[in-house]
Amino acid sequence: MSSVSATVQDVFNEPACPKNAAKSEKERKKGCTKQLQPGGAAGGCAFDGAKIALQPITDVAHLVHGPIACEGNSWDNRGAYSSGSTLYRTGFTTDINETDVVFGGEKRLYKSIKEIIEKYNPPSVFVYQTCVPAMIGDDIDAVCKAATKKFGKPIVPVNSPGFVGPKNLGNKLAGEALLAHVIGTEEPDFTTPYDVNIIGEYNLAGEMWQVEPLLKEIGFRILSCISGDAKYHEVARAHRARATMMVCSKAMINITRKLEDLYGIPYFEGSFYGIGDMSDSIRQLAQLVIDRGAPPEFMDRAEAVIAREEKRAWERMAEYTPRLKGKKVLLITGGVKSWSVVAALQEVGLEIVGTSVKKSTKEDKERIKELMGDDAHAFDDMSPREMYKMLKDARADIMLSGGRSQFIALKASMPWLDINQERHHAYAGYEGMVDLVKEIDKALYNPIWEQVRMPAPWQNASDTWQAKADAAAAKEAAELAADPAKAEEKRRSKKICKCKTVDLGTIEDAIRANALTTVAQVTEITHAGGGCTSCRGTIDGILADLGVGEIETDPVKLEEKRRATKICNCKSIDRGAIEDAIRANGLTTVAEVTAATQAGGGCTSCCDSIDDILAELVAPAEAAPVAIAAE
Amino acid sequence: MPQNADHVLDHFDLFRQPEYREMLANKKKNFENPVAEAELQRVVEWTKTPEYREKNFAREALTVNPAKACQPLGAVFAAVGFEGTVPFVHGSQGCVAYYRSHFSRHFKEPSSCVSSSMTEDAAVFGGLNNMVDGLANTYNLYKPKMISVSTTCMAEVIGDDLNAFIKTAKSKGSVPEAYDVPFAHTPAFVGSHITGYDNVLKGVFEHFWGGKAGTVEKLQRVPNETINFIGGFDPYTVGNLREIKRIFDLMGVEYTMIADNSDVWDTPTDGTFRMFDGGTTIDEMNAAVHAKATISMQEYCTEKTLNYIKSEWDQETVSFNHPISVQATDKFLMEISRITGKPVPDQLKLERGRLVDALADSSAHIHGKKFAIYGDPDLCIGLAEFLMECGGEPTHILATNGGKAWEAKVQAMLDANQFGANCHVYPLRDLWHMRSLLFTEPVDFLIGNTYGKYLERDTGTPLIRIGFPIFDRHHHHRYPVWGYQGGLNVLVWILDRIFEEIDRNTIVPAHSDFSYDIIR
Repeated sequence: MSSVSATVQDVFNEPACPKNAAKSEKERKKGCTKQLQPGGAAGGCAFDGAKIALQPITDVAHLVHGPIACEGNSWDNRGAYSSGSTLYRTGFTTDINETDVVFGGEKRLYKSIKEIIEKYNPPSVFVYQTCVPAMIGDDIDAVCKAATKKFGKPIVPVNSPGFVGPKNLGNKLAGEALLAHVIGTEEPDFTTPYDVNIIGEYNLAGEMWQVEPLLKEIGFRILSCISGDAKYHEVARAHRARATMMVCSKAMINITRKLEDLYGIPYFEGSFYGIGDMSDSIRQLAQLVIDRGAPPEFMDRAEAVIAREEKRAWERMAEYTPRLKGKKVLLITGGVKSWSVVAALQEVGLEIVGTSVKKSTKEDKERIKELMGDDAHAFDDMSPREMYKMLKDARADIMLSGGRSQFIALKASMPWLDINQERHHAYAGYEGMVDLVKEIDKALYNPIWEQVRMPAPWQNASDTWQAKADAAAAKEAAELAADPAKAEEKRRSKKICKCKTVDLGTIEDAIRANALTTVAQVTEITHAGGGCTSCRGTIDGILADLGVGEIETDPVKLEEKRRATKICNCKSIDRGAIEDAIRANGLTTVAEVTAATQAGGGCTSCCDSIDDILAELVAPAEAAPVAIAAE
Repeated sequence: MPQNADHVLDHFDLFRQPEYREMLANKKKNFENPVAEAELQRVVEWTKTPEYREKNFAREALTVNPAKACQPLGAVFAAVGFEGTVPFVHGSQGCVAYYRSHFSRHFKEPSSCVSSSMTEDAAVFGGLNNMVDGLANTYNLYKPKMISVSTTCMAEVIGDDLNAFIKTAKSKGSVPEAYDVPFAHTPAFVGSHITGYDNVLKGVFEHFWGGKAGTVEKLQRVPNETINFIGGFDPYTVGNLREIKRIFDLMGVEYTMIADNSDVWDTPTDGTFRMFDGGTTIDEMNAAVHAKATISMQEYCTEKTLNYIKSEWDQETVSFNHPISVQATDKFLMEISRITGKPVPDQLKLERGRLVDALADSSAHIHGKKFAIYGDPDLCIGLAEFLMECGGEPTHILATNGGKAWEAKVQAMLDANQFGANCHVYPLRDLWHMRSLLFTEPVDFLIGNTYGKYLERDTGTPLIRIGFPIFDRHHHHRYPVWGYQGGLNVLVWILDRIFEEIDRNTIVPAHSDFSYDIIR
């Protein structure tokens, strides 16, 4: 087994990922991202993932070993800003040619590194492997090792050729490269009890700079930020931090977790988006350093800054709130943003009518559910027609999304605002939230949307594609209503597992035929849920609908199940534990519950749920069990 | 000295040499009786104040940096739009040299035009002899199909009667009796270039339709299905008229382009000099009387002409205000569709959708930005509508040649639009007024002609060049600003400047290039 595939396997085996932990050995080996479908539109490759994860390290020369395609298309394509060196913006590539493919590109790579050292003298050169040299067998590890020895500088191989998998895997392989070759190779001149790492923050549109001054004012020292506006030496010293904040939940979890394993640095996952999230992140970061020996008064400093900044931000946002209150937002993004932005938007009175959870982890999804109360508004994928229907049915006023969905939104006559990486406004921190609100306000009141939605003057109202789509949908609905058999067929044809292409009918038949009661059994028989596993919740629902598995008549088991509901995903605390703690200690506030059980001590998004539990226990006359059963 | 015969420096470099800097500084100090630098700066700063603005706006007599040109210039613009026609300007030849250079500098094309070359004796005794000789020479030298006579101030001040002069010249054999010599009085001391355009056009219509100055019977109008199209005085005439023809062809409309100067100002380099090219023919002008309607793209360029067509000939007239925005273009197409009964074709529907798409992609960059606009009255309206459609605020709208009616129209337009709330219209004001406006109520961008570059230098307001004349940028006149394609061009020009400004603000290495991005 080559070292790349070994690393890939290692990355797949991520114990800190609850989803991964739930998988069987066999499943784990298959990887944690949705299998790519030949013929389908796909996202970026592992090379791209590695490149974007590390490119923000500003003083490093990022050398792409491969034909022009790889660097040609990825050169300086992200708005990750630098406060110092601009070397990271310079496109370095070996630009290998036919001869190299025949005779090998290692010599060219070595010479390229040599020229970079001679002409730019960076603290380090990161060498990115790509498909072609990987396939012809160029050993970049060996070249980097030789170069390191020869030039006396760390030359870091980033072994993440495109073919090994998708972008997300590349993020992690980049993390592995840092762990293997960079982190822990240098010692800081001095350390303080307030040294922290920020991991998974890329300083897009200079966002980190809106957060950094506040952290500094409180007294934190950001020892290392991976990788926004980072310097090589800072990254190399990351292992001496007292605590880590992990910003983007999926991309860099391996670095974060291994820093904990190897160096005992505790971490939490937080977000700089939204006022509440920002404040909570500061508190948690402060708590972590206090837990590790910083004086408890440190929290007072943090609270003082939080109080001041929150007040300032709210004051500045107040003028927008009347204009935004009740406006409906459709959120098409992915990963951590899907929930962190939800919380942020709700703060200014916007109503979230739907959110996509395409790239979100199960935890992300849970948080969305907590925040929005109803996961019926969470979508995995959305076709333009669905988006339009969404717009029409829910009367969304605006869609917030990444640049690529922009164009679909516009074709569907949907107002749009960019909140992903190619945006040029920084939305992080308190300042960023004010900016986001300002931009949403601008977008909502941009007159162009009127123009976009207004039919052309010659347009016959019944002749628009929207009207046609509505008519087609209505016709389909009518046909199905008139023909129960067809409706049933349609219902059964709904694709449940996209990885394994298994539809609802197949699953139902299997459950009935084999008297299945658990998701694992369904996966065994039908393979549904055997891919990315994201449909397992749905399968659970199918089991419940068929009256097997979920429906429990035994009151004892029912109670058991009720108590097993996970309330705090961050700290993995279930309802039973919280209820017991409340009863045993007579707790009355969320803060007390958090102190006693840790629940709510992570991303804090479950605080409302804890509050509800407190309310139920204080007023037990409420028909709480019914509500829980419905949930 | 840095300047010597072996190595002669040009103006870019010469005065930047230390010797010259020193010499100029000494000259100023020792011989120019300069005020103290602090005093100079104080006055410079004072010219930026509201107090100065008040005094500036109280100006009654003096015009400083006018944003308009003279009637005779507009006259020539209209005249070259007819096939084989030489514009004949009765008056001093110096004026004519101006028109020619003006148009040549804007269109980067030769611009043929003759004058009767009146001199001092003509000013005393009248210009009849100049007319008689001039028409004869023009006719014989250039063999034009038509000579369109307009005037300069000189002829107007002494009261030369064109109608009588031309008849006399014909009777003296300068040109054949039946030869077409339409005429218009176009004194520069009245109105502006758009008035001159209007007058010449009206003169040509009167000539062909109204009995050629009483020499033949008036035409008999028998309405048919064609329409006449008048572009007005339009700096983008080359691109615009071709775009309009394309649109009409797509719609299947039968049309006559009146005063079509799109070819004569865009002749190919293929070894043949074309003194004349394209243009509306005499037959087309005669037939135009039967048209169902006459469309003018610029109301304030064609007030008299349309009035003549409507009141004398009972032909429908429809005028627009230089449509650029989606809505204005919609209105234009719907009117054409209504008049001709032809539906808007699929191709144009697609182009509309594409323009809306482009606007939606990028209008966030225009939304919320403030603009100052100056130019001809119709262009100002077209641009203001376009900006407001994108959420831009046309904070200052200024036309030296805009009158009371225009002011009312613009004000109504601003009142009806939320983005017009803090915007003001300034008729009969000049670019020195604009200077005060830009200092006291700053905007993000200025839209105007080449002369706006001085305002850009003085006030630091980035200039977007749209208007007439554009001397210092080439070939924009070849692109349309009308139709949905035209709207797209205007969008791109505005966006280009906005992005250039962002780049300019972020380009200094290690100072501002933190935000110097390749993706905008």
